[in-house]
Amino acid sequence: MKGAAALTARGLDVSFGGTPALVDVSLEIPSGSRVAVLGPNGAGKSTLFAAAVGLVAADRGSIELHSRRVAFVPQHLDVDPTFPVTVADVVRMGRYGDLGWWRRFAERDRGLVADALDVLGIGSLGRRRFGTLSGGERQRALLAQAVAQDAEIVLLDEPLTGVDVPTQEAIRELLGRWHRAGRTVVVATHDLASATRDYDLVLCLNRRVVAFGPPEAATTEEVLYETFAGRIVRVGGLMVDVSEHHHVE
Amino acid sequence: MEVLIEPFEAEFVRTGAIAAALVGVLCGVVGCYVILRGMALMADSLAHGVLPGIAVAFALTAEAGGGEPDKLAIALGAVVAGLVTAMATNAVLRRSPVRPDTAAAVVFVLMLALGVVLISRVEGYSVDLTAFLFGDVLGVGEGEVVVSAVAVAAVLALVALLYRPFLLVSFDRQRAAAAGVPVDRLELMLLVVVTVAVVIGFQVVGALLVLGLLMAPPAAAALLTRRLPAMMAVSAAIAAASAPLGLLLSWHLDLAAGASIVLVAVSAFVVLVVLRPAAE
Repeated sequence: MKGAAALTARGLDVSFGGTPALVDVSLEIPSGSRVAVLGPNGAGKSTLFAAAVGLVAADRGSIELHSRRVAFVPQHLDVDPTFPVTVADVVRMGRYGDLGWWRRFAERDRGLVADALDVLGIGSLGRRRFGTLSGGERQRALLAQAVAQDAEIVLLDEPLTGVDVPTQEAIRELLGRWHRAGRTVVVATHDLASATRDYDLVLCLNRRVVAFGPPEAATTEEVLYETFAGRIVRVGGLMVDVSEHHHVE
Repeated sequence: MEVLIEPFEAEFVRTGAIAAALVGVLCGVVGCYVILRGMALMADSLAHGVLPGIAVAFALTAEAGGGEPDKLAIALGAVVAGLVTAMATNAVLRRSPVRPDTAAAVVFVLMLALGVVLISRVEGYSVDLTAFLFGDVLGVGEGEVVVSAVAVAAVLALVALLYRPFLLVSFDRQRAAAAGVPVDRLELMLLVVVTVAVVIGFQVVGALLVLGLLMAPPAAAALLTRRLPAMMAVSAAIAAASAPLGLLLSWHLDLAAGASIVLVAVSAFVVLVVLRPAAE
């Protein structure tokens, strides 16, 4: 499977109320690759994910995921604190895609759920109501759902934003685990240092594709200035995105 | 003990209690999705949006029935008007940047005004308008109870069959879409389910009060439970118990029957809020 396309976009245009969010986006993400999506807020990163999973319609062009086994962890989840689900319920939802609407949980499904809780270090929180968790714990539970989903393509929209350091570490370990398992992982991030260090490909997006390729080619100073419209500074040897107080570590 | 039994010695009270309890179970379960998805105003809009359909069905069937309208036609007219309300709201949302509550409110008043205009053109409807708004729980016949029971069972079976996709869509529609769930179709299906619950409910407790059964028992259950199946069970129990308790109050204190049932259901929520039970 490695080398075949996991996601293909061709001349994709998406707009909201006449305001363009994505313009003429064309790219092909190879299966099994780790892709960092860089861009300032409003660059269309979330829109790209939403279009990929079919939540927003293209005005023109197309975007296609070449697998039905897709896990998506959106950027914001404003769950009502009284929403009646426990952490274990949230992770179990990850199995619904495979099980369909009625099939019962088998041993393998229960094992995947337990493993997912374990990998994210939230096994002890299984019976807690999801709405009572801290931001970092919620993100771990949602990532555990994606792990339980056992998906071939994983889309993460700014998973490191607003979470504590242990959760950031857990997410980095998880990205490595997915990569070793040959999964395609696409991550929207503001972490420029990580994008150049931890990913196979970098997509620089600012409504249009500014650059897409290996980190050394797609994160040149010129490309980053164009991507972030100048809202970027050099600190020592690192480029820092200052568009919305996002910093590299 | 006699105080508790006396009202239910009358057959029409027993029948009314069964009908209201059935509606309570349905609204108690379906209402969980209404509050989880923030559809309160949408449900209110549906409850009033059925009015034009009822007026048209009345006009078309009352004359042939010697002034007595066909009840099945009334129910079907209500369902169709409810779906028109849901789809019109959806269309407004898709074609304009207004907020969901604004879209629901605009369509709500449009359908209500349309219903009143149509009713004003239908001779002999004024008395039935009162029944539409406030229901006639003590006037429910045994045949209607059977029809309601079948409809309630069918809707509850559908809710059970669609439990997982409804939960996914209610929890997070973005993740549901990524997992291959047909989000738009399921949201429409959910609106149909709420519409059918409203149509079954308004005939018993009225269009104004059916919202009470859709909202109060699930809101109370949310304070007591951690998981959706438990919330649905507790909500259905509160709503069903409100029927005999409400009729008991109504009988002894000479109160309006439908309103008494809804008052009991809402009281359960108020008591729980005051007592602030631990949700964990």
